[in-house]
Amino acid sequence: MPFAASLQQNLKAVKAVLPAEDILVHAFRAGDGTPCAAVYADGITDKKGIAELAVLPLSRQEAPRTAEALQKALPYPETKLPQDVAAACQSILAGDALLLADGVAGAVTLGAKQAAARAVTEPQTSVTVKGPREGFVEDIKTNLGLIRKRLPTPALRPETLRVGRHSQTAVCVLYLDGIADAKVAEAVKARIRAIDIDGVPDSSYIAKFLAQKPLSLFKQAGTTEKPDILCAKLLEGRVAVLADGSPIALTLPYMLAEDFQSSQDYFVSPYRATVSRLLRLLAVAVSLLLPAFYVAAQLFKLRLLPFPLLMTISGSIQGIPLSPGLELFFLLIVLEVLIEAAVRMPKYVALALSVIGALVLGDTAVKAGLVSSPAIIIVALSGISAYTVPDLAGTLSVIRLAYVVVAGSLGTYGIVLMTALILYYLVTSDAYGVPLLAPFAPLVGKDLGDAAWKESVYALRTRPAALRPKNRTRLRLVYRGGKEE
Amino acid sequence: MDKIKLRQICFYFACVAPSVKFIVYPATLTYEAGNDLLLAALGSFLAQGLVLAAVFWLSSRTDKTFFALLQGAFGKAAARAVYGAFALYFLFSALLPMLEQRSFVMLVLYENVPSVLSYAPFFAVSAFACSKGFKALGRAADLALPLFCTAFAVLIALAVPEADFGALLPVARRGAGIFRGGLFGLNWHAECAYPLFFLGRFERNKGDAAKVLLSFAAGAAAVLLFLAVFYGVFEDIAVLRQNSIAHISKYTTAFTSLGRIDLLFIFAMTLVNVFALCVPVQMCVHCTHAALPRCGRLWPALAASGALLAAVLLLNYSFLEMQQLVTQRLWAVFLLFAYAVPLAAALLFGLREGKARPAPRRRAPQSRRKRAPRSHRGREQARRIHPRKCRGRERARRLHAEKHLRQKRARLHTEKRARARSARQGAPARGGREEGA
Repeated sequence: MPFAASLQQNLKAVKAVLPAEDILVHAFRAGDGTPCAAVYADGITDKKGIAELAVLPLSRQEAPRTAEALQKALPYPETKLPQDVAAACQSILAGDALLLADGVAGAVTLGAKQAAARAVTEPQTSVTVKGPREGFVEDIKTNLGLIRKRLPTPALRPETLRVGRHSQTAVCVLYLDGIADAKVAEAVKARIRAIDIDGVPDSSYIAKFLAQKPLSLFKQAGTTEKPDILCAKLLEGRVAVLADGSPIALTLPYMLAEDFQSSQDYFVSPYRATVSRLLRLLAVAVSLLLPAFYVAAQLFKLRLLPFPLLMTISGSIQGIPLSPGLELFFLLIVLEVLIEAAVRMPKYVALALSVIGALVLGDTAVKAGLVSSPAIIIVALSGISAYTVPDLAGTLSVIRLAYVVVAGSLGTYGIVLMTALILYYLVTSDAYGVPLLAPFAPLVGKDLGDAAWKESVYALRTRPAALRPKNRTRLRLVYRGGKEE
Repeated sequence: MDKIKLRQICFYFACVAPSVKFIVYPATLTYEAGNDLLLAALGSFLAQGLVLAAVFWLSSRTDKTFFALLQGAFGKAAARAVYGAFALYFLFSALLPMLEQRSFVMLVLYENVPSVLSYAPFFAVSAFACSKGFKALGRAADLALPLFCTAFAVLIALAVPEADFGALLPVARRGAGIFRGGLFGLNWHAECAYPLFFLGRFERNKGDAAKVLLSFAAGAAAVLLFLAVFYGVFEDIAVLRQNSIAHISKYTTAFTSLGRIDLLFIFAMTLVNVFALCVPVQMCVHCTHAALPRCGRLWPALAASGALLAAVLLLNYSFLEMQQLVTQRLWAVFLLFAYAVPLAAALLFGLREGKARPAPRRRAPQSRRKRAPRSHRGREQARRIHPRKCRGRERARRLHAEKHLRQKRARLHTEKRARARSARQGAPARGGREEGA
């Protein structure tokens, strides 16, 4: 529906589309007495800015006769001319203000979005000892600003798309032109455009639609809450996706090795970083396999344990009514329940529940002879180890339960077979043409320096080959150790 | 198209294929060849190496698949028949190693609950792996490399101090036994036929054969070292040690305080063995899929794995009988499919294809390779850098010019004749048409 020349008709048309009570109309007169009005949504619009930069200047001058003249007459920094009433209403809902004047067959939208946003703080899920501490917030513009601050290059290409029939959530796809594989960027955009859903509350919804295997147990898109990590991934040739209302950014294509990297690895000595990475790998293996091997060793393969340890364990498991498999399974379920409760419980009851969880459930269960002490030690070690790679913790906990079931029923060969199955699944999973298990399978020798171990910054001359970046050169060496190359 | 990388083929021969030779093969070889088991194994490896060299010689002369070569020479029906026969052969060749693995699992990995059901889930894993084509095979080989190297190094390091290599002397004492050992061990050396089915599925470069043969030699050296240590540890009772990988390192004194830590590396080797045992089934499914493309991969994978599960259940307690049947009576089947057919195919198609297609050049390393300039000015430079790429374009241009010349000559000839005819009739002519007639 086009705009009419009459202010009243235009206001009636807008109110017909937006009858909600939080859509406010501020009526005022221009310098020559022409009736004007500003329409905006209460709570998400910067009223002070509208008053100072639009209403006040217009009330001191003669009302323009066209929308273009109205746009030029205002000292407002962000203005647009909406095509019709529907487009204007959409802008109002997005936080903009609509400026109307009697006798003008058009309108001007003022970019006055001002949503309540929390401050930029360090994200709780990726705390670092060394390195930047800024984290993303729920406002997409703030997040884009944080990225732009780190990458002030014209090659950075953000493109905002609207997703959600009702939520109309802004989803921004961004990549570095000339570095990222344009085909991946186009594929991501095409998939986002194809999403037809009523609302998108978080970027994890988008991740489901971007996944090659939506039912997979493993992650299909990388996630980060820190702009420095996101910028590093963009510089490697990945494509990022930001969603308004979510502090978690997605990165594509995703490789499993990413989760074993930490931003701190790049700020400390490469030797220390290598040790950390190997520890993470070991911790994941311990988290997955230790409970299973404990069960299998007790049930099927006693010689796996050294004799003194075997004696200790056999002494402590005497009189336990549950089989080792059931005992471990039960304890792992208790661990999962405790984790779930700890995440959601109010902080003021956390201490009390911790005491109940650790002392009452743990200590008393052992004293009552329901579970053995070694089983509790193994479950605790396994649970702690999983959180060395927090992004994989959820996946690990599910696989760990499956391993315990398999070890309890099929024994050690079951563990071997399950490992083979998982490896076959992982090696045959690709996302946007990039293998999930790269650079290990397929083996990409040049990329191993930043995956299995951490080489010094001089060795990272090229971007990861597995991502097929357009421009592979990352570092041009001029000086190394004081010597000119 | 189902692709595999040459590196992955190399890893397969260096790390995955040797792992199946560490279970019953050493004891069988000792039974036939005694302390000359190394010579018997060496003979088998040399024969296998010869077949591999022939197949990779063929691969250097063609970029067609084996199916396409057969189809070109004998027709599609014959190609399907050959692939069908190979599918059955691969299925059959997978059976004995699986029975071997089953008894290994029952005797070594379990102490108190032996059950065929513990082994049955293997077939679910093989069905999944087979449905994914050569990608699963190749990438599993990538993963197997560190696993195999670590496990093998640790197990050998634990066993070597107990080995008396003097037991291998004197050499060549059992003449006929060496030959029998080589012949009866053919089913453990059947993987030399696999590269025939990798033809046309990997990027060809000069020196491929050398790389594969070197990898194969590395794998063979690992097996020979294992056999030497195995015989050095057990000597005369080696023939009784059926699951040799589980026994070779168990006499290390440190185990009293550490427990059987070697079992962890035996588990790692068992994992590599799972990858290795899936390969013949994968080859079977590949052949079935090529012969009957409408079936897809999933159904042949399920059928092959189901058939092998049924066979393992039926032959649950007949490993020795099956082993005798395969090694002592049906060795000719392995000789035919794993050695004779690949050799014959390599010779036949290698000589045919060699005339048509030259061997590929070695690719320059990424850093030295230059991109051909796109602009018209740079075309000459592009021709210098990529003479082979520009050859087709030049030929097309030359053909086009020749065609244009022929057409021009024909037009001139027609005009000349028309002019002559009109001159004879006394009327002026132009462009082959009569004007004002």
